[in-house]
Amino acid sequence: MSDRLKKIFSEKEPKTKLISYFVGCYPDYDQSLSLMKEAIDNGVSILEIGYVTSEASAEGPIIKKAHDHVLSNGGNLDDIINLVKDLRSYSDKIGIVLMGYIANLYKYPIPKFVDDIKKAGADAVLVVDAPHELKEENQLREALNNNGLSLIKLAAPTTDDKRLKDIVKISSGFIYNINVSGVTGVKSANEADVANFVSRIKNLTDIPVCSGFGIKSPEDAKKMAKSGCNGVIIGSIFVKYIQDNLGAAELTQSFGKEVLSFTEVLK
Amino acid sequence: MTKNSLKTGPDELGYYGEGDAAMGGMAVGETLMPVLHELNQGFEDAIKDQSFLDEFDYHCKHYIGRPSALYYAENLTKKLGGAKILFKREHLNHTLSHKVTNSLFQVLLAKRMKKKALICESGAGQHFSATAAVAAKFGMPLTGVMGDIDIARVNQNIIKAKHYGAKLKSVPGTLKEAITEAIKTFSSNPDYAYICGSAVSSAPYPRIVQFAQSVIGREIREQSMAQEGRLPNMLIACCGGGSNLIGMIHEFLDEPEIIKIGVEAAETAALSNGTPGIMQGMKTYMLQTEDGSKSLGGASLGAGIQYFSVGPQHSFLKDQGAVTYTSATDKEILEAYKLIASTEGICSALEPMAGAAELIKQAKNKPKDYLICLNLCGTGEKDLNTIQEHIGKDFE
Repeated sequence: MSDRLKKIFSEKEPKTKLISYFVGCYPDYDQSLSLMKEAIDNGVSILEIGYVTSEASAEGPIIKKAHDHVLSNGGNLDDIINLVKDLRSYSDKIGIVLMGYIANLYKYPIPKFVDDIKKAGADAVLVVDAPHELKEENQLREALNNNGLSLIKLAAPTTDDKRLKDIVKISSGFIYNINVSGVTGVKSANEADVANFVSRIKNLTDIPVCSGFGIKSPEDAKKMAKSGCNGVIIGSIFVKYIQDNLGAAELTQSFGKEVLSFTEVLK
Repeated sequence: MTKNSLKTGPDELGYYGEGDAAMGGMAVGETLMPVLHELNQGFEDAIKDQSFLDEFDYHCKHYIGRPSALYYAENLTKKLGGAKILFKREHLNHTLSHKVTNSLFQVLLAKRMKKKALICESGAGQHFSATAAVAAKFGMPLTGVMGDIDIARVNQNIIKAKHYGAKLKSVPGTLKEAITEAIKTFSSNPDYAYICGSAVSSAPYPRIVQFAQSVIGREIREQSMAQEGRLPNMLIACCGGGSNLIGMIHEFLDEPEIIKIGVEAAETAALSNGTPGIMQGMKTYMLQTEDGSKSLGGASLGAGIQYFSVGPQHSFLKDQGAVTYTSATDKEILEAYKLIASTEGICSALEPMAGAAELIKQAKNKPKDYLICLNLCGTGEKDLNTIQEHIGKDFE
């Protein structure tokens, strides 16, 4: 369990934490770094840094486009780990989660990956396609736990109560509740469904619950915050903002304002 | 079945083999996990239900036209002057390939599990047109996902699938991209049934597809005993994901004296040139960058075997040394096509001609009493434009 994540969720302010997803090295290393620093300066509590793989199975068109950009320009896991180092030296408080698919971790391989990210200063890992049935998930979870880091587990609308209990038992850091079935950035989350889902999880555990998928505006984020979740996760909307403003002067500063529009409503 | 049998498995989590070397598993997002467990349970229940199995057999016989013939390719045998050659004529099935048997099985299973709509992926379009036909017969809506490169080259299958009432979703690319997109579509519609076309993806699909297609090997045993009074010495099939191959050899996995050869496309020979990795739901051999971030692989004329990865059971069988895996180039595939068309009057799909290329090499050096069976898993109609483009001139 990551002490830093524990501390973040134990703090009263902001009431609901903003967790924001970035495609690491998008559009390039330096800009990616400044965008994430800007997010930190504008109140983001946890950064999810995505590392890319060509057969990513949960990404909608917006994030896929950013992934493809990074895949064709280079930007591998080593670069992402360097980003973590740079961000950790910028902020001792920010939560850092590496997010992606098992393909790259398996080849890294997993024990070395955990060593390297620990040294770099990451707090947790989230692997989209590594359910607890997968051997490599077990290996990764054990290595992270032994090193005081967290493996973030996901719960989906399809997850039944029996399975949810199993997931809660092995969760660490926070539980990522996926609001809608499908890929990122397409469907919209329904307030009542999310509230219902969050309370299902809260009945089983004290681990913080963060709500992601289908949150498309500060208004949505505000509504989802009322569900009782401890954090809301914003991905595609931020990636789209960056995508739509590539090459614009002062992208970093204007992106900061975009982030602020979310953190303000979550105070 | 005993624990030492190669026909056993996978285990309940979808692994073939044990420990770190195990292949397969379930590498998908949480949204699909409950759905796949439900499917596995539905499958296990169904195969214990004799009336379900009888229904499958009935439609195999009356709708598909099984058993497909086991044919003595006499002219080819004489021309090569070595082993006696048999073709398992899966191209004579309804919808003209082996794919329909799996489509039928999975659509019946979906019906039994009260699913209302279907998704499938396809490379050569054979699985799409086969699933579309079965979906029409059983009144279920189908969306097929295919790469735009494949859509252009196997147009006849698309036309037929449309006539059967299926919808087509196009993605840039080929089979690889179609599979990733199909998983996305399934995740977005977890109440649908995903009819997976090859022995690939997360558990339980490799096992389900193997189960459905294993009828091929059982028929070969029966037909070969009846016609030849003995079993083949060697079985050869092409291998993309590996469904026609596993269907042919599964019956014989515990008979090591029968040589089994799977033939991949040289440009995407995952088993010959790949390394273990985890993508598209499974741990298996694949062509990938060293860091696992990108799938690799070139283009083959055979759309159905142009796949950077392979079903996990084949990776396990390779590691066990139970099956030999080789590959064939486009040139060899076209040469084999020409030879079989001209000697036997059979217009084969290009995919099984990868198997035929290996067959030609093997048969020449074998004695006349050596029996080799090739799985001729599809028809060439879909490939006529491609074939014409490459070897048309030779006929003028």
